[in-house]
Amino acid sequence: MCILIIADIKNNQINPATAELFTAANTIAKDIITTVYLLIPCNDVKITSNYRPDVKTIVIGMSIYNYNAQGLSKAIASIAHDIKAHYIIGLHTPFTIDFLPSISIEYNAHCITQVHTIQHDEHLTFVRGSCSGKLDQYIDIDNKPVVASIAPGSFDEYVADDTDNSINDTINEVTQITIAAAEKQLCTFITKENKDSSLDEADIIIGVGKGIGSKDNLTLIYNFAKIFPHSAVAGSRIVCDYGWLPYSKQVGITGKSIAPRVYIACAISGSSQHIAGIKGAKTIIAINKDNDAPIFNISHYGVVEDIFTFIPQFLEYVKRL
Amino acid sequence: MSIPYKILVCIKQVPDANAKIYLEKTKPHYDEKTVYVINRYDEYALEEALQLKDKGLTHYIHTISAGPDRIQKALRRSLEMGADEAYHIVTGDDDCAIPYYVAQCITDFAKNEYDIILTGVMSQDAMNQQTGQLIASMLGYNYATGVTGIQTNDDVITVTRELDAQTSMQYALKIPCVIAVQSSSIIPRYPSLSNVLRAKKQHIGMIKPIMSSQVQYHSFYTIPQKTTECEFIQGRTDQKVVELYKILHRNAVV
Ligand SMILES: Cc1cc2nc3c(=O)[nH]c(=O)nc-3n(C[C@H](O)[C@H](O)[C@H](O)COP(=O)(O)OP(=O)(O)OC[C@H]3O[C@@H](n4cnc5c(N)ncnc54)[C@H](O)[C@@H]3O)c2cc1C
Repeated sequence: MCILIIADIKNNQINPATAELFTAANTIAKDIITTVYLLIPCNDVKITSNYRPDVKTIVIGMSIYNYNAQGLSKAIASIAHDIKAHYIIGLHTPFTIDFLPSISIEYNAHCITQVHTIQHDEHLTFVRGSCSGKLDQYIDIDNKPVVASIAPGSFDEYVADDTDNSINDTINEVTQITIAAAEKQLCTFITKENKDSSLDEADIIIGVGKGIGSKDNLTLIYNFAKIFPHSAVAGSRIVCDYGWLPYSKQVGITGKSIAPRVYIACAISGSSQHIAGIKGAKTIIAINKDNDAPIFNISHYGVVEDIFTFIPQFLEYVKRL
Repeated sequence: MSIPYKILVCIKQVPDANAKIYLEKTKPHYDEKTVYVINRYDEYALEEALQLKDKGLTHYIHTISAGPDRIQKALRRSLEMGADEAYHIVTGDDDCAIPYYVAQCITDFAKNEYDIILTGVMSQDAMNQQTGQLIASMLGYNYATGVTGIQTNDDVITVTRELDAQTSMQYALKIPCVIAVQSSSIIPRYPSLSNVLRAKKQHIGMIKPIMSSQVQYHSFYTIPQKTTECEFIQGRTDQKVVELYKILHRNAVV
């Protein structure tokens, strides 16, 4: 069997979370002998590791500044064809998800996205969140090749076996595949500096979601935050899209990753994109009026209440202490 | 020259955030009282199209949606927001579970009639985040996903595509192209009264879905396993208040 792992690119480097894909590949392979290839989608990032001594690395001969989803997916499909890949897996990030599904068309494969669990007992099953995260969808894998994106954080990072001295830092076989000039385009990268470090420094972060209803209602959340000495207020993407909080306060896969001692999610449903940013929080508390909200699946403590009744009572209680 | 652009906006109708969901055997089932709305990201896609119309770059915005009869409400809403024509690919509820099939139906409808096909970056309910890419690849068009900005200059469209909080990519897409739109600080418009009146009289085109409803894969649904054992704080509201305070105290944040 053959598995092609696609390295994710973040800040012009290989995203370290790429190591999680090797663990996913092991789960897929189980005890079947498997050749694993690592594909690096551009040729201007430093190759830091093959992750495993037996892994062959293939580099697409294209600068990230010439990125073109269509050209890239065609090139990967043709490599998959050459190596007879059964599984092509990448991380579900904005970078990789742009071109990954297209490989399935070029390579005539299934396309299964946002996978968070892989089960391999008698059968191989990919599990993904669906119905706004309220249900899991189990997909049975047949003989057709599969292109899949794996949600970051779903698998532990692969760590090489200590006893294997051959791995060290040596980079084994790297092949570069050229790509037609016609497939390239000119890209510029825009980076916004985020000088706001309040979310990095806070002990406790109060996260606020769409359920707050308006910018004016945020006063309630600010008053709640004021109770705690080293606190900060953050929001879901919707709250930032609406302009109720600046984007520098957005937590999630396209926002900040936070690691406070306590995170209190107020009227946040707990989408996988939001949760991706709060995995570092030690204790997660959710206040939500919907007892089925997915946020409770990853919380340590749950309060099923309307924030507009609960938080004012909490403030009242603290005042009287 | 492509101006005025012919634009197709793909729309999915989804249950709103408050919808109650049940498992019926192994399939999702929404409560009868469920309110259905246009997928949030598709509203942003439509808004991007309408802004091109405001600039005089198009007077030809079509919307398309695949699904059962109830989705006509979403298509009607798209007309009220300012789309010119709406088309309904009549499929069953379940068929929409597989993005490949939906992409095939849309591709079959779109053929080579449109300069720009807009979709939302993903659907709020199924969260596949692949339909735009599949349509583009089936048609062999240029594309970009996660787009938070569109600038036009004749037949060159420059898109801004968001990677993370700090980083975006910007590049030109040659027409014809597919653009999958991410939510941003633009606000999808409310229908104007004149559009609402106009939309009332408009006919929604019915489209037969393509035949190859070959099942792509077998799937079933379950309630997600919890990754943490969430301790629900019990009691009356005032008791919960006290309990939460204790927990916060134990965690040394108060
Ligand atoms: C590519 C991509 C990237 C994304 N990146 C991010 C990201 O980085 N960060 C992010 O947050 N999102 C991100 N999103 C958006 C994400 O999918 C969700 O849409 C978003 O997180 C939902 O925000 P929310 O929880 O505030 O709103 P909703 O999902 O609408 O949830 C509101 C919740 O509030 C509850 N509620 C309502 N009123 C009350 C009340 N009075 N009291 C108590 N509870 C109440 C409801 O029960 C519900 O659970 C991304 C989406 C895409 C497609």
